[in-house]
Amino acid sequence: MSEQRSKWQNFLDSVKSVLYGMAGHDMTRFALKTRGSMEHLFILVTMGDLLGIPILPPYYSLRLLPYVVPQIATWKRRMLRERDLTDALA
Amino acid sequence: MNAIVVLILAAIGIGVGYGIYAKSIDRRVIQPDPSKATPAKMYMDGVDFIPANRNVLFGYQFKSIAALGPILGPIIAVQWGWLPALLWIILGVFFIGWVQDYASIIIGVREEGQTFGALSYRLISPRARNILLAFIYIYLLMIMGAFGIQVGFSLLTNPAVPLGVIIVILAGLLAGQMTYKWKQDIILTTVVTVIIALVGIWLGTLPAVKNAFNAIYGYQEGKTEPPTLFLDVNQAEFVGSLLVLIFCYLGAVLPIWRWAQPINYIAFWIVLFGILGGVIGLLIGRPGMGDFPAFTGFMAAAGPLWPMLFVTIACGAISGWHSLVSSSGTARQLEKETDALYVGGGAMFLEMFFATIAFLAATTAFGSFQGYQDAGGPAAAAAVFSKGLSVFLNNWGLDAALGQGFGVAYGAVFLTLMALTIMHLVVRFMRVASAEALGDRFPILRNVHVGTIIALLFTVFLIWFVPFLKIWGVFGAANQLMASLALLLITLWLMSRAKNYQWTFWPFAFMFVTTVAALLWSAYSSFFISLPKAKDWQDVVAQVTIGTLALILVVLAVILVVDGIRAILRYRAELAKARR
Repeated sequence: MSEQRSKWQNFLDSVKSVLYGMAGHDMTRFALKTRGSMEHLFILVTMGDLLGIPILPPYYSLRLLPYVVPQIATWKRRMLRERDLTDALA
Repeated sequence: MNAIVVLILAAIGIGVGYGIYAKSIDRRVIQPDPSKATPAKMYMDGVDFIPANRNVLFGYQFKSIAALGPILGPIIAVQWGWLPALLWIILGVFFIGWVQDYASIIIGVREEGQTFGALSYRLISPRARNILLAFIYIYLLMIMGAFGIQVGFSLLTNPAVPLGVIIVILAGLLAGQMTYKWKQDIILTTVVTVIIALVGIWLGTLPAVKNAFNAIYGYQEGKTEPPTLFLDVNQAEFVGSLLVLIFCYLGAVLPIWRWAQPINYIAFWIVLFGILGGVIGLLIGRPGMGDFPAFTGFMAAAGPLWPMLFVTIACGAISGWHSLVSSSGTARQLEKETDALYVGGGAMFLEMFFATIAFLAATTAFGSFQGYQDAGGPAAAAAVFSKGLSVFLNNWGLDAALGQGFGVAYGAVFLTLMALTIMHLVVRFMRVASAEALGDRFPILRNVHVGTIIALLFTVFLIWFVPFLKIWGVFGAANQLMASLALLLITLWLMSRAKNYQWTFWPFAFMFVTTVAALLWSAYSSFFISLPKAKDWQDVVAQVTIGTLALILVVLAVILVVDGIRAILRYRAELAKARR
C-alpha cells in the first residue's frame, strides 16, 4: 500500500515538476540571470582590474574584495566566455 | 480513418521510436555516463549553467520547442491529403526529429556548453557561424510575417476575439504586478489572473462587445467583407495588424518582467487548458475523417508534395529551431548525461503528439475535405484550428450555442496568445541582432525604439504585401536549413570522435537536398509562374521579395555545404590517418 502510495506520489511530483518546467522555469531563470548580470556588473565596476580594466582606485576594491572573493571564479568565467547571438536565444 | 486509430498509430510511432530506436542509439553510440560532470555542474554560475531536475527540464524543453509551428504546419500540409502529412509527422520524428534534438543536447554537454554559433565556427568554418546567424534572422523575420498574417488578418478579425486577448494581456500585467511588486503567492496570483482571463474571453463573445468590434472593423449588414482601405487590406485586417504591432512594440520595449514574462505565464495556462480540453473532447467524440482524401495529388496550392510538404511541416517533424534551444539552453542545465534522451528525445516525441492533435483538428473536426476548406483551408490554418478546437470542446456536452461561440473565441484567443508570446520575444531578439550587427556603423540602431520600429516595419511589410503560403514556405525552408546545419555539425562531431555517424548523416543529406529543392521551387514559382501573372504592383513586390529571399537562402546553403564537405573530408582523412 505504502509502495503504491509512494509510486503515486512520485508520479504527482513528476507532473508537478513538468508543469513547473513549462510554466515557471523560464521566469526563475530570468530572475537568476538578472541578478547574476547585476552582480557581475558590480564586480566589473569594482574589480575590473582583475580583468585588466582599472576602474576604481584599488583602496575601494580592497575593502570590497572579501565580499567578492566567492564569486570571482564564476564571474571571470562568465565575463571571458565567448558569446554570440545564439546565446540570447535560450 | 478514425481519430483514435491515428492516435494509436502515433503512440506506436512513439513507442517504437523512443523505446527501441532512440534508446539503442543512446546506449550503443553515445553511451552517456551518469557519473560524468556536465557543464551545468562543472561551470555552475547560477546564471547560464545551473543543474535542473530532468522533469523540470523536460517541461522547459517542450515549452521552448512547441509553439504555433506544430499546429499550423500539419493543418497547411493536409492540402496534399491526410496520408502524406501523417506519414511525415510520424516518420520525420522517428528518423530525424528526435535525432537532431537529442544529439544537439549531447554535443552541447560534451563540448562544455558551447552554442551552435561557436561550434559551427570551430567544426565547419568561420563563415558557417555567420551563415547560421543569417538563417536565424530570415527565419525570425518569416515568423513575424507568417504569425502576423494569421493573427492580424485571420484571428483578430473575428469580433469575438480582440477583447478576450486584451483582457488576457491585462491579466498578465496584473500577474507581473502581483508577483514582482506586491510579492503575492504565485498560486493566488495564478488563480486570480487565470479566472480574469477566462471571464475576459467569455465577455468578448457577448453580442454587445461583438457589435462594438463590428463597428470598429467596418462590418456592414448585407456585406460579407469590410471596406478595403489600401492594397488588398480591409478595415478589419488593418485594425487586426495594428493591434499585433502595438502588442509586439510594447513587448519589445518594456522590461521583460513587466510585459513578456507574466503574459507568457498566463497564456501558458490558457493554452494548457485548451489542449487538455481539446484532447479530452477528441477522445469523447472519436470523430472520423469522412470523405477527407488520403491523397489529393502531387501538386497543391503550396507546390509539389516533394519537396514542399517537408518544409511545410517543420516543427512537429523536425525543426532547426530546436537545435538552438537544445544547445544554448537545455544542454547547460542538464544534471546527468543520461537525462539527455528523456529531455531532448522525449520532448520531441511529445511534440509529435501535439502536431497529431492539430492534424486531427483539420481532418476530423469538420467531417469532410469541403468542411476543412470552408473553415479557412491552408491559407487560414489558424482559423481552421480554432474552429476545430471548438468542435472538440463541444463534445464535452456544452450547450451548442454557448459551446460554438465560446469554443471558437477560446480557440482563437489561445492561438493568438501562442503567436503573440513568441512574436514579442522575436522582435526583442531582432532589435538586439540589428544593434549588434550594425550598431557600430549606425549608432542609432542601438536605440531600443528605433531597433524595434525597424523590425516592425519589416513585419508589417510582410503582413500587408506577401501571401501567407509563400511566407510559410520560406519560413519552413529557413528552419529546415538550420536543421541541416545542426545535423551536419552533429555528423562532424561524431566523426571527430570516431563514432558511428550514419544515423545523423543520412537525415542531414535528406534534409539538405529537400530544403534546397524547396527553395529553388519557391524562387522558380515566384519568378516564372506567379510574377508573369501578377495583377498589380503589390503582387509584383510580393513575388520578387519571396523569390529573392529564397535565392539568398540557396546561396547561403550552397556555401555551407561546400564548407561542410571540406570539413567531412578533413575529418575522414584524420580518421584514416589515426587508423594507420
